[in-house]
Amino acid sequence: MDPAHSRKPLSPLPILLLLFLLFLPHQARAVELDQTSWEETIQAADGQTLDWYMWGGSPAINAYVNGFVAHRLKERYNITLRQVPVKDIAEVVSKLLVERQAGKSSDGSVDLMWINGENFRTCKNKGLLFGPFAQRLPNQHYVDWSRPSVYNDFGTPVEGMESPWGSAQVIMIYDTARTPVPPKSMAELITWIREHPGRFTYPAPPDFTGSVFLRQLFYHQGGGASTWQGDYSQQELSSAARATYALLKELKPALWRQGSTYPNSPVRMNTLFADGEIDFSFSYHQAEASRNILDGLFPPTVRSFVFAEGTIANTHFVAIPFNARDKAAAMVAADFLLSAEAQLEKAKAGVWGDFPAIDTTRLPRAQQQQFAELERGPATLSNRELQAHQLPEPPSRVLIYLEKGWQEQVLRER
Amino acid sequence: MFQPLPESPAQAGTAPGRLRLLMLLGPALAIILLFFGGGIFLGILQALGYRPGAGGGSLSLSHFAAVFTDPDFSTSLLMTLYIATVSTLAAALCSLPLALLLTRLAATSSWINVILQIPLTVPHLVIGICISLLLSPAGLVSRLLSWSGLIAGPAAFPLLVNDTWSVGILLSYIWKEIPFITFMLVAILKNSGQELEEAAQTLGASPWQRFRHVTLPLLAPNLRGACLIVFAFSFGAFELPFLLGKTFPMVLPVWAYRNYSDVDLMARPEGIAIGLIIAAVVICAILLSQGLTRMTSRQGTAR
Repeated sequence: MDPAHSRKPLSPLPILLLLFLLFLPHQARAVELDQTSWEETIQAADGQTLDWYMWGGSPAINAYVNGFVAHRLKERYNITLRQVPVKDIAEVVSKLLVERQAGKSSDGSVDLMWINGENFRTCKNKGLLFGPFAQRLPNQHYVDWSRPSVYNDFGTPVEGMESPWGSAQVIMIYDTARTPVPPKSMAELITWIREHPGRFTYPAPPDFTGSVFLRQLFYHQGGGASTWQGDYSQQELSSAARATYALLKELKPALWRQGSTYPNSPVRMNTLFADGEIDFSFSYHQAEASRNILDGLFPPTVRSFVFAEGTIANTHFVAIPFNARDKAAAMVAADFLLSAEAQLEKAKAGVWGDFPAIDTTRLPRAQQQQFAELERGPATLSNRELQAHQLPEPPSRVLIYLEKGWQEQVLRER
Repeated sequence: MFQPLPESPAQAGTAPGRLRLLMLLGPALAIILLFFGGGIFLGILQALGYRPGAGGGSLSLSHFAAVFTDPDFSTSLLMTLYIATVSTLAAALCSLPLALLLTRLAATSSWINVILQIPLTVPHLVIGICISLLLSPAGLVSRLLSWSGLIAGPAAFPLLVNDTWSVGILLSYIWKEIPFITFMLVAILKNSGQELEEAAQTLGASPWQRFRHVTLPLLAPNLRGACLIVFAFSFGAFELPFLLGKTFPMVLPVWAYRNYSDVDLMARPEGIAIGLIIAAVVICAILLSQGLTRMTSRQGTAR
């Protein structure tokens, strides 16, 4: 395509006019919240309605947000929390980007979003976030900012542009009634898949859960997690990725429906698992199996396990868009989410079972005790077992590279 | 429906008539031009590579070229055409006899009307989820059949959801669109009365001749219009193929969505380009149908 030729039919005048119109409201208003004290922030939040955009695929998380969190925000700060469930927070990032392009720099409809990884990187690089604000939250004293997964989000420095909410780890889910002896490592799982055709599948990347399985397999094929944390060459990346796709392609005939199609979400994969169409599910929430047993979605014989070599773990955050209408309410909510009380409730097996984002050793002794005495669900592994088997996420560049490659090499078989 | 307005000399020919027409159409046209036209205009700009938030970028047709040269484009286009055409034709074929029957029974049975109105009120998303609960390999139908011993087990149940032939998608569309087309036809049949048919009967026309030469020409404009609406909708709709379709190949709307929501922002203009291609195909279908109508009506008057 000859660019000079194709540009011809468009006169530059309307475009210039449009450009002018789009950028007009940009310098309208500076950020006022930077200088205010915390008391003033709480006052400003009084009466605001907080629109929290988040992945809405887990009934347990939705119940925690709309119940416990919403009630307390209303009682204590007179903030009305409105959860807006989305399938993928990337949709919201797209929306913000459009608003950025259209010059909508205030009065945006998204006040708070649940985010991490590549979406955070996009938001941070494109200037879609308000902040830095995390350091201004009183409860951030409980956060151990020196932890690599807290100051770096998939290799992107956090720098106060998002506030940690919790942390999660991949677990494999199986039914002891069907699979008495589950595979103990990725290598054993691969053997198991070959020996049991049609009984395993994974959500199609770029689905969040499907994508983490791809990375887990990439670690297995690419020399372990540590290879991808520091320096690696493009050549190493592409050869390890090729090995990953080759394995997945080779496994295709042994997958559910011979790999001709994939579930489009972990929710769908859980249904297939519960219906007995497949024998494994997996989740990026360590308490997912227990949670689904309590909800009656999984039979009580379901258990979870982690691979001997470890499974991927990360921290998830909340962030405030640059044009949020109710920034004060968003900051108050982000602070409340970090409180010992909210973190403890969230960690309960019957509620969500998420790891705390705070360092519980920084809490008063009585509260530490409460965390130590938390009841775990029937299918959730102990904290010690989980933490002994954690692998870091690779940089988001690797993640995007793998997701794209999967689409081309595995799905389309080019 | 999509016929050009009749050019009667008394109304449209004179200047005040034209003015009145313009005033009547004005508000609707203004809204369509502003929002639809404006949206299309911005869409075209972005599909040409215009990115105000990311440092401008030069205008070129490269994103369209990337879509057209993609080895999967023809597969996606054919698949979308297949789903839209088959579901439209099947729904129309079912609606025609149903509308005739309904006009006969209209006086006595209002319950058929009620039943037919159910699909109209149910959103596509809901029927999509219902179909997947009913027809998936572990779904209700498969379980009932294997429980009653009619099939050996859930594994013997044919693939109807996320399958190669998009059976689940087609069934949902047909179920949803039959009442729509039927009611469009019933409206004509009810107003036309029985006189034409009776006249044909007294002239000795057989039931088939009456249907072929009296009823069908009467229904043709509405049938064509209803089919066009259904075709345009199912060609551009996203939710049913997303829920019930295979991961790959994907229909054009799902492909557009994937590109648009990609973490890689460079994929967005391609997503918008696909959206515009969808719009272009639908517009072509409308023009083609208009052309055909004009041709057949000219032939009709010539004879």
